[in-house]
Amino acid sequence: MGQPREDRLFYYSLLPFAGATVAVVLLLAAVLGYYSLPALREYGASVIVGSEWRPSEESPREASYGLLVPLLGTLATAAIAVATAVPVALAMVVATEEVLPPRLRGLLGGVVDVMAAIPTIVYGLWGLEVLAPLLRRHVYPHLNSALGFLPPFSCRAYTGASYLTAGLLLGVIVVPYIYAIVREAYRSIPSKYRLAAYALGATRYEAVRILSGMVRPAVAAAVLLAFGRAAGETVAVALVVGSAFNPPTCLLAPGYTIASLIANQFGESFYYPLMANALYLGGLLLLAIGIIANVAGLRLLAGARSRAGL
Amino acid sequence: MPDYRLAKDRAFTILVLALAAAGVAPLAHLLATVAVRGAEAIARAGPGFFTEAPAPPGSRELGGIAPALAGSLLLAGASVAIGVPLATLTAVFMHEFPESRLARAARALAMSLLEIPTVLVGILVYSIIVVPMGRFSLLAGGVALAIVMLPYVATYVERALGQVPRTYREAGLALGMTRAQVVFHVAMGVARRGVLAGFIVGLSKALGETAPLLFTIGGSRAVVQASPLCPGDAVPLLVFQLAQTPYENWRLLAWGASLVLVASVLLVYLAARLLVREVRL
Repeated sequence: MGQPREDRLFYYSLLPFAGATVAVVLLLAAVLGYYSLPALREYGASVIVGSEWRPSEESPREASYGLLVPLLGTLATAAIAVATAVPVALAMVVATEEVLPPRLRGLLGGVVDVMAAIPTIVYGLWGLEVLAPLLRRHVYPHLNSALGFLPPFSCRAYTGASYLTAGLLLGVIVVPYIYAIVREAYRSIPSKYRLAAYALGATRYEAVRILSGMVRPAVAAAVLLAFGRAAGETVAVALVVGSAFNPPTCLLAPGYTIASLIANQFGESFYYPLMANALYLGGLLLLAIGIIANVAGLRLLAGARSRAGL
Repeated sequence: MPDYRLAKDRAFTILVLALAAAGVAPLAHLLATVAVRGAEAIARAGPGFFTEAPAPPGSRELGGIAPALAGSLLLAGASVAIGVPLATLTAVFMHEFPESRLARAARALAMSLLEIPTVLVGILVYSIIVVPMGRFSLLAGGVALAIVMLPYVATYVERALGQVPRTYREAGLALGMTRAQVVFHVAMGVARRGVLAGFIVGLSKALGETAPLLFTIGGSRAVVQASPLCPGDAVPLLVFQLAQTPYENWRLLAWGASLVLVASVLLVYLAARLLVREVRL
């Protein structure tokens, strides 16, 4: 602590930059909040719990902006994504850490890194031109005829674009995030536990069952963080979700998520009084989902790490 | 009894490998499709792919993605110029004064920026830059991408600085250097590979982003734009907008642009991999 004066100068000269980083996030919340107020004042809670989206160029009184359908669509697609991605990502972790021969382990790790590196717009293009037609032709008709008595599969899929398509595509996108978090936790298990399990004569399946109990908090954290990512993904979803205001009670129908609604309508929203404000409110909801998922996930992860350190 | 256990183990191994294969399959199919369709696009367009603007919709010609390439380059320059100093100095602050309240806030908010949907960054920049300026611009897009790259660069740089052995810092301080000199002349030098990898990863993340550009750069792709104050185009935005059109030639162009995107991202990944052993994107 040699030169307190220069060190203080150092502190104060760095202050604005760290302050700017903090300010960006606060400003984001402030801007979204400020511009969504007019919509809340005019329509009250019906912007969030209403399900009718009827823009009007004439007057805000004739219009109705209910975000319920896109909000439910966001939650439904993110839930589908996590539900499909978790088993796959966990299997990939077990494959890299326990099953594959050492040379293939690095390869699988590299493949997952590439998955995480590819821009989501490319996933979106692939989803639009490859995945959606494939599902429409070969999967959805069977799903509808076999399980049509269940509400989620009760409607005919006329286009490949639907909640289910978006959810499955998001599942592909979030696999690498779940994998990275769970693998790090799995690797931090002290090797004595693995050795003890095998020394007791456990088969691989039994050893993995014992060890996987120790990474349960990390899996929960990965689920939350992946859910947040999936809920906020915009362009890939906008290409395959179908852009229609059907409630996600039938997953084979085209729908909307908040992010894809913003992507589609924010640009034109200024022709309609208060429509932009309703979309700002949608953004605020997305921000809340993202921050809740992030804080809860990171807290779980920190708890898991400190326990692993013991 | 043992047979039962072994059978269960066998079934488990097969299930794990099958699920892992199911996870890799979409990526393999995606890469193959991008390679085939992208190569088809570039072959049909010829060298004009890199020098021309997109042809009129529905025509037989493809044209090229030159305005988008130029726009992406300008965006890269602007976002690095804004985002890298901001992120690096924030990281230095978080590393040097870790206990201060601001450092804790910065760390928490930088982590939550990783999770905040990037389309919201686009809305923010639209509201505070595009509207007051009165027009879309590549500069506004650069600001949005700088915010996107900030958390990646900051976490990488902070981790790289944290890995510098204490003895180097102590040696610097013992020579009578100030803390600022120790950070910028000693620690940054020792940590340069990790720091550089952070810059590269941040840039590659920013350049693949589409959502922050939707309401900031305007997507005008008729001519190559040389000024950052004018509206422009970017490669991911071109993919998003052309993919939604019914025109066969524009959709093919989107595949060609996707190939350019994927190839550049993979090159960046390899570069970062050469710098540091473990890359987390």
